[in-house]
Amino acid sequence: MAEHTDINLTEDTREHAPVLWREYQRILFRIAFIFFISISIPNSVEWYKHVVAIDWTNLHYRDLYDIARFGSGLNIFGNKLFGSTLAGYANWIITLIAATVGGLIWTFIDNRRKNPVQNYNLLYYWLRAIVRYRAGIGIIGFGFTKLLPVQMPYPSTGLLNTDFGDFTAQKIYWLSIGIVPWYQIFAGVVEVTAGTLLFFRRTTLIGSVLLFGALGDIVYVNFAYDGGVHGYSSYFVLLSGFLLVHYIPQLYRLLILEQTTLPVYYYPTLSKPWQRITRVSLKTVTIVVFLPLFFYLQLINFWYDPYKQPSTKGVTALRGYYAVTEFRLNNHVIPYSPLDSVRWSEATFENWTTLTFKVNRRVPLDLSNGGGDPQRDINRTFEVAGVGGGRRVFHYFADTIDHVLYLQDKYKAVADRRNVTAGVGGDAGEAQGRVASGKRKKDGIYADDWISVAAWEHIGDENKKIDSRAASTRRDREFAKVKGFDERNRMVLKFDTEDGRRVILTGLDENQDSLYVVLDKVDRTYALSASTLSAGKY
Amino acid sequence: MSTTEILEAPVRKKVSSSADRDREQLDTSGSQLAPGAWKAHEKLLFRFFFIYFILQALPLDWKYYRDVLGNGFAFSLHDLFYAARYVPRIVADIPAFADWAILALVAAVGTAAWSAADRSRTEYNGLYYALRVIIRYRLAVGLLAYGFIKLFPMQMPYPSLSHLNTAYGALDSWKLFSISTGIVPGYQAFLGSVEIVAALLLLNRKTATIGTFIILPFTGNVLMSNLAYEGGEYVYALLLISFALFLLVFDINRILRLTSFEKITRPNLYKPAFTSPGWKYSRLALKSAFVFVFVFLYGYQSYAEHKEGGYQYSHSAGLKNTAGLYTVEEFKVNNTVVPYTTDNDVFRWKDVVFEKWATLSVRSNKQPLLVKTNTEEIIEDDAERNYEFVGSAGREYYSYSADTLAHTLTLTGKNVKGEDASLLFHYSRPDAQTIVLEGLNAEHDSLHIVLNRIDKKYLLKEAAKGGRQRGLKL
Repeated sequence: MAEHTDINLTEDTREHAPVLWREYQRILFRIAFIFFISISIPNSVEWYKHVVAIDWTNLHYRDLYDIARFGSGLNIFGNKLFGSTLAGYANWIITLIAATVGGLIWTFIDNRRKNPVQNYNLLYYWLRAIVRYRAGIGIIGFGFTKLLPVQMPYPSTGLLNTDFGDFTAQKIYWLSIGIVPWYQIFAGVVEVTAGTLLFFRRTTLIGSVLLFGALGDIVYVNFAYDGGVHGYSSYFVLLSGFLLVHYIPQLYRLLILEQTTLPVYYYPTLSKPWQRITRVSLKTVTIVVFLPLFFYLQLINFWYDPYKQPSTKGVTALRGYYAVTEFRLNNHVIPYSPLDSVRWSEATFENWTTLTFKVNRRVPLDLSNGGGDPQRDINRTFEVAGVGGGRRVFHYFADTIDHVLYLQDKYKAVADRRNVTAGVGGDAGEAQGRVASGKRKKDGIYADDWISVAAWEHIGDENKKIDSRAASTRRDREFAKVKGFDERNRMVLKFDTEDGRRVILTGLDENQDSLYVVLDKVDRTYALSASTLSAGKY
Repeated sequence: MSTTEILEAPVRKKVSSSADRDREQLDTSGSQLAPGAWKAHEKLLFRFFFIYFILQALPLDWKYYRDVLGNGFAFSLHDLFYAARYVPRIVADIPAFADWAILALVAAVGTAAWSAADRSRTEYNGLYYALRVIIRYRLAVGLLAYGFIKLFPMQMPYPSLSHLNTAYGALDSWKLFSISTGIVPGYQAFLGSVEIVAALLLLNRKTATIGTFIILPFTGNVLMSNLAYEGGEYVYALLLISFALFLLVFDINRILRLTSFEKITRPNLYKPAFTSPGWKYSRLALKSAFVFVFVFLYGYQSYAEHKEGGYQYSHSAGLKNTAGLYTVEEFKVNNTVVPYTTDNDVFRWKDVVFEKWATLSVRSNKQPLLVKTNTEEIIEDDAERNYEFVGSAGREYYSYSADTLAHTLTLTGKNVKGEDASLLFHYSRPDAQTIVLEGLNAEHDSLHIVLNRIDKKYLLKEAAKGGRQRGLKL
């Protein structure tokens, strides 16, 4: 690799950059400096509050992820241009306008000085360092949830039995990655590698190219599938594009003009020991926190509490796909027909605390991404988000002593806020537009005390039902938030089964009508290969 | 190999980059190698890779000519696609890694012979350039072949009505991969344009390395997708990657030296000499012919085929105004009504899809044959097209031929087990939404089936209409 002759350069090999920048270069730099600093630092108070509140002795992967995932850009002027958010990009344009104005003011001030600045080599170095670390940390946060494949879960039994046309495009895309966990890992490796390469000067070019290509593709995917994450993905394309700009003139000269090319670089001399020590410690801490520590936390999450799937094990006997052999509503037998608008046509019990069934009736739909960071099983909506076809999805609390299931609809008319710390969405179709339900009388199973104290003792504390290694302050805090029950459809069903092959459910459905259902397990074979990697412990 | 350069007279010219303006002039005197000489290991490696890649890239396998010219060559989409997809196949009819091992062995033997015969040779700059030209064009044609059938989205077409009415788990991963991309033709067109741009960059030696920067991640992703989704094109994908890697090797040392090690870097100094006018014109003619056939002609064929509905689905005309999803309102066997049932031993149709073309598919409690395929094929014979049912175990597919005078439908099962693969029905249409079928099954039981078309709303399409913002009830 070594060239046999080395050209005589200046003795100081820490810098090889023009001493005198041209006027337009200085102006462009000032604008770029203000712009990229604005979009590299968090702009929401929530983020700062969150970081200060992290309990470093009892971490959850999401604590680190939320450090890495934040919204930025100047939003003091609002987020809309001409009344529209321009698909989220209006913020960038506003920031750019503000940066241009700021840059021009800065130019004006500088030109009036006795000794105007000749170059910004030092500031340019720091700007690129900040952008490199912002992009690196951000993409690593994104990447780990794929490297330990939890971002796109393998389809549940209910989803495997839903027709292809009954999903939203976003759901189809997410499922298409969920079915191949090893490919998801590969995508995660690419993202984490790109981020890691950005931590080091020598590998910045290859890291930027990788990031630019991978995230450029993801931007397009998000527009095509209405994925909702196009803004945050474009952000990385912008950052990596900025890092690439530095190399383009050099590569053009070398490869296209085929002329001898001098590199351009500038590294500040950190001569004082405290400077060197600070730099090394900061870099080491960042790398240690965002690589091995993050990996460990994400691994625990994958093993015991995959963040999109409910983490509580379901009743062991109740697993699989069931045909609904008999169905009586208010003691009136309804014969099987997949077209009936009341009778269940099939049912599934998942590995976790979920019951689903299919009815040929129009229901309001949750069209969100089903992501975010909820800790409670009932708020983990990947089985219901983006899913149609008449499928109803109910979370259950199981009283295994008295054999009663306390069920709540996972669909909620008023959606939760997700990704609060990020300050930005990532979840399209959220708070607005849900079909609101009417006010319901709080009697019968809709009373506030529908689950008795004794039943609660049998059910247990959901927070403690995952492996203790996955416990975290974040999870404890969310469970400690005293919440009554949300406004959801409910059912209370007694279950009766010997080995899980035949299950008889008796009780009250969501309209408080009496229900009697006989389920017979069907050993279903799927053309789709089963996953060789399973998230969670059930 | 790439560190070897022909050093010209010391360069004393002023460098034009503004970044260099205030630096000293460069002094490039002296080199420790004799001008132009390659090192011994470089010559050896080159001989090996020259033979190996010539064997991989040039069409020398008789099977290729059998397949491409077997039915005559009409410059159709089909013919050009397979012409562009040359892979030496030695051990089997599909590409295999064992073939690579055999070619490597042959190359090793050839290298030994060549090294013995050519001892006095000091450099192979000319041959290296020629090898790179061959690989560049071979790689380009391979990418163009796949690029255009994505740019005009045909490789992964929009799912058929039957697919929309198939349970997710009843489709294998390769099929799911295909139809999941099929629903976003704009994205597929984007992927195709990336492939085409990368291929075009390969046609000029200066932009070829930039092309490989695009090709390596792109085809790397194709490789990983094939491995993950149980596709069968991973050998071919890896072959294209090996071509791209070899092209990158030429410039990689220079690029790393400049951007990673940040040292002054000399460019490639070998410029091929095409002095005679004969060479100049043949080069131009060959290059133009290549571009004409594989860019313009192939591109046009892709566009035309796409306009006609693509090559994956049949173009046969279905029965007029029957396309849609039908519930099976009544199902009589030997005049006894068979109601809907959860009993898997009782045979009853659940729903039927009539496609725009002459196919109908049936969902029942019978398991169809799972026919699998995992390579990209272009099937010209309409009756042989299998895209709609391969990888699907959720519905039984029948192609039908209709006699509109006698009102009969002759059904030929595509993935149907047993003797019911062939059925003859008499059909009647009391109104536009109803079809009544009467016929005999293989056991000579009479069937009387009443189908009722429903206006099913698919969440896939409804959500796309208004975006996911507004509340939707389906």
